[in-house]
Amino acid sequence: MDASQLSIREINSLFTKKELKPSELYSKVFENAANSEAALHAHLTLFEEENIKKAAESDKRFSKDESASLLDGIPIAIKDNINIKNYKTTCSSKMLSNYTSPYDATVIKKLKEHNALFTGKTNLDEFAMGSSTENSAFGLTKNPWNTDYVPGGSSGGSAASVGARSSIAALGSDTGGSIRQPASFCGLVGFKPTYGTVSRFGLVAFASSLDQIGPITKTVDDSRIIFSSISGKDSRDATSVINNQLDIPSDNAATIGVIKELMEDGISDEAKNEVNKVVEILKSKGYKVKEISIPIIKLSISIYYLIAPAECSANLARFDGVRYGLRIDGNTSYEMMENTRAEGFGAEVKRRILLGTYALSAGYYDEYYGKALQARKEMIDEFAETFKDFDYLISPTTPTQAFKSGEKTSNPLEMYMSDLCTIPANLAGLPAISIPTGLSKDELPLGVQVMSKPLSDNSLLDFSEIIENEVQFDGQPKGWL
Amino acid sequence: MSLKPTIGIETHIELNTKTKMFCRCAVVDTDEPNISLCPTCIGLPGALPVPNKKAIEFITLLALSTGCEITSKGMFHRKNYFYPDLPKNYQISQFDLPVGLNGELEIIIDENKDYIEIERVHMEEDTGKSSHSGSGRIESATSTALDFNRSGVPLVEIVTKPVISSSKQAVAYIEELRQLSIDLNISEGRLEKGNLRFDANISVAPEGSTELGTKVEIKNMNSLRSLERAIDYEIQRQIKALEEGVEIVQETRHWDENKEMTSTMRSKEGSADYRYFSDPDLPDMLLSEDFIAEVETLMPLLPKAQREELMTTGLSLSQSNILSKSDEWIKKLYVKVFDQTKDSVASYNWITGELQGQMRKANIEVLPEWFNDDYLPEIIELIKSDKISFTSAKIILTEILTTDTTPSKVAEENNLYQENDSEKISEMINHIIEENQDIVDRIKSGEDKLVGFLVGQLMKQSNGSVNPGMAKELLLKELED
Repeated sequence: MDASQLSIREINSLFTKKELKPSELYSKVFENAANSEAALHAHLTLFEEENIKKAAESDKRFSKDESASLLDGIPIAIKDNINIKNYKTTCSSKMLSNYTSPYDATVIKKLKEHNALFTGKTNLDEFAMGSSTENSAFGLTKNPWNTDYVPGGSSGGSAASVGARSSIAALGSDTGGSIRQPASFCGLVGFKPTYGTVSRFGLVAFASSLDQIGPITKTVDDSRIIFSSISGKDSRDATSVINNQLDIPSDNAATIGVIKELMEDGISDEAKNEVNKVVEILKSKGYKVKEISIPIIKLSISIYYLIAPAECSANLARFDGVRYGLRIDGNTSYEMMENTRAEGFGAEVKRRILLGTYALSAGYYDEYYGKALQARKEMIDEFAETFKDFDYLISPTTPTQAFKSGEKTSNPLEMYMSDLCTIPANLAGLPAISIPTGLSKDELPLGVQVMSKPLSDNSLLDFSEIIENEVQFDGQPKGWL
Repeated sequence: MSLKPTIGIETHIELNTKTKMFCRCAVVDTDEPNISLCPTCIGLPGALPVPNKKAIEFITLLALSTGCEITSKGMFHRKNYFYPDLPKNYQISQFDLPVGLNGELEIIIDENKDYIEIERVHMEEDTGKSSHSGSGRIESATSTALDFNRSGVPLVEIVTKPVISSSKQAVAYIEELRQLSIDLNISEGRLEKGNLRFDANISVAPEGSTELGTKVEIKNMNSLRSLERAIDYEIQRQIKALEEGVEIVQETRHWDENKEMTSTMRSKEGSADYRYFSDPDLPDMLLSEDFIAEVETLMPLLPKAQREELMTTGLSLSQSNILSKSDEWIKKLYVKVFDQTKDSVASYNWITGELQGQMRKANIEVLPEWFNDDYLPEIIELIKSDKISFTSAKIILTEILTTDTTPSKVAEENNLYQENDSEKISEMINHIIEENQDIVDRIKSGEDKLVGFLVGQLMKQSNGSVNPGMAKELLLKELED
C-alpha cells in the first residue's frame, strides 16, 4: 500500500488505527518529490527539514490518541502567493524573490491549528496571472501526465504536486479559474468556494473582488475537509462572510442545467463529450437535466479582462522597491521606483497593469471599467434568476485538454480563452468545482465543472461526490512514485 | 473693471481615534519613527484593510454637525498615485459617495454672522511622512527618510463650495471648523501639530460675472497667519496679472513662508489622474438610521448654539464668539461667574482679560486647585460695592493665583478694603492740606495738576485704602472752600 495514493479520510483512519505514522507518510511524500521535482518543478521551495519535527509531533499525538483533526499530519502544498510566516512569498516574481513574510495568512493559521504539515511553496504564474504556469520568474512547471504539456495555471505548481503525489493536497487561489483549470488539466478535483467564505487575508492580491483560496485534491471529500478547515468569517478580511450554508438537494430531486453558451463553438468535442457523459449518468439516476441559456456568459472574458487588470493595476502598485522586495536604484525616488518595476515584473504582469491603468483612466473609465462593472452586475442578476429554476449548472471546466508548453505563450488572447468556462463563477462569486471525468485521446485528463448558488458550497460538494462516485475516474499520472 | 476673488477651502482633520483607520495599530504622537506599524499600514503583500468604526462615527458626527445630508450607502474608493510615503501607492478615500454632502457652517467676523456652504465631508487615510535631504522636494532630494507611524491614521476632509470671498472669512472658517472638531471631541485641533491642514482654491473674476475665473490651488499653509497672507498675496497676484492682460494658468502653487509669496508647484497638464475606483477590499459603507441615531446621541452643544446661549447672558456676538472658541474650563468658569454675579460684561472682562492675562504672564496653564469658582464673583462684588479698588482687585487676583488663600483674606491682610466714610476721609484730607500748605497755595494760583499729587499723598498715607473717587471729590470741595 502506498499511503500517498490515499484520500485524507483513509489516511487519517490509518493514523488513528496506528497502522501508519504521519512521519512515514511525510517521508513518502518527500520521496515522491525527490522523484518528480526535477522533471516537473511543482515546488519552488520544499520545507522537508523544518517539518520533520512537526511530523514527529503528529506521530506523538496519534500514538497517544490525542489527535483532534482530520488534517493532523497531512502534508499540504501551498501556492507561493499565500504567506507563511518566516518563509519566502515570491509570487513567482523577481520582484519578491528575496521577500520573507513576517505573518501567516489566515488560511495558514487555520491549517496550523489543524496541525497540517506544509510540503513547501508551489510554483505559479507570476502574481497568479496566467493559465499555464509558464509566466514564472523561476522556470515553468510541467504536467505530471505528460511533461510536454502545461499543468494549467496559475496554480499549476499546486496541481502538479498533488498529481505527482509530492503532497496529499494543495491550496491554490482562483481569480478566473486558477484552481479549477489546473486541477482539470492534471486529473484532480479543484474547488473554488463562494467568494468571501475563505479569508483572503495573507493571499497576495491579484484582483481582490475575484480572488478566492481553495483546495486542489484527489477527491471531492478531500476538498470538503480542507474547505471546512479554512473557511469562516475573518475579522481581518472585510469581504469575508459568515459561512451560513444553504441546504439545497443533492439527490435526484435536484434540477441540473447544462449551460448552452459553454457547449458551443470554441469548446472541443472531447470536452463536450465529458459533459454529455455526466448528463447521461445523472439522467439515468433520475435527475432532471435541461439546457439553459445564459447569454451574458459570452461577455465573460471581456468583462474579466477589464475588471481583473483594473484591480491588479492598483493591487500591484505597492511593489515599488521602497519598503521590501527588489530595489533597482536610480537618481531620484521616482527613478528608483520606475527601474524597480521595469526590472521586477514580467511581461504578462506589465501587460495587465497597463490594461488596467488604461481602463481606469480619465475619459476611459465609463467606456471600459464602468461598463464592465455594469455587465458584471447583470451577470450576477442573470445567475440569480437562473438559480430560481436550477440547483446546479454543468459545463466543461476547460475548452480543451491541457495544451503544450510554449503553444500559447505568444498569443495572450488564445491563452485567455482557456478560462472561458471558469471566469463566470468568479465574476458572480459562485462556488464552482472541477471534477475529473475522463481522458482525452492524448491520454490527458478532462474535467467537468459544476456551479451552484452562493453559499451552497456544501451541497455542491455533496452533489459533486455523487458524480465522482458514478464516473469512477481512477486515472493517475505514471512514473513519479 | 473691478475684480472679485472666490475661494474654496479643503481641510484635512486628523481624527483622535486610538487606532488607525484600517488596522489596529495605535495612533502615536512621537518623534521616534516607525514604531506603530503592521502589515496593513505599511502595505505588505496580502494585508487587507478593515474599517475603524469609531472613525466613521466621528466623520458622521462632523457631517451631521454641519448639517450635511448623510449618504446611507457610502463607498470607499482607491485614489491612485505613486509616492514613497504612500505604502500601497493608492490612498483609501471616498469619491462620489462620501459620508456627508451639502452642509453649512456659521462663521463670525466681529459682530457679523456668515454661512459657509460645505460641499462634502469624507473619510481618508493619512500617508506616512517623508524627510527629504539635500532639498525640501522629492524631485531633487539626495535621499529620503520615511516614517510610517502616521500612515493609515484616519482623516476627515471637509470641502467648501467656492463661496469664500476674503482671507478674513477663510480664517474665520478655519477657526470655526477647528473649534467644532474640538467640541465634537474628534480631534485635538492643534494646527502646529498638523491636526488641521488646509489648501485653498482661489480665482478672481469681474464683479457681477456668473462664471468663476481660472482656479489656482495653494498648498503649504501651516498656520492661520500663513492662510491669511497666502490668500491675500494670491488674490493680488491674480488681479495684477489680469490687469496686465496676463492669463491665469490652472496650477498648484506653493506658499513660501519665508519669501511670503506663492510659486508654481505643478501645472494642470502635469497633474495626476487619480483613477478613482471603488475599493474591492471594502464593502459599502452602510450608515443605517440606527447608526445615525446612535451618533446623534454623541452630539455636544455646538459652537453656534454655545454662542446663542452666551448672548442670552448679555454678551455681544463677538464676545460670545471669543468665549465659544476658548478652552473648556474658561467657558465653564464664565457660566459659573455669570450665574453668581449676573454681570456678563464684568464676568467676561475679568475672565478673558485680567485672569487669562495674569495667567499668561505668570506662565500658569491651569487654574490652581484651590481657586474656587466663588473667588471671581467675590472680587467682582467687592469692586461693585466699592469695598476695594480695581487696583486692589488685581493685587488680590495675583495673590490667589499663587497662594492658597481667599480674596477676603488677601484684602484684610493687606488692608485693601477702601475707606468709604466721608467724614473719616475729610479728616485725612484736612491733615494733608495742613501738611502741604505750599502745594495748596500753588493749586489755588492755578496749578491744577497738583491736585493729583495731593490725592497721591492721601492714598499713600491711607495705604491705598481710601476710595480714590470719593477722595478726589472731597479734596476738590475742600480746596474750593
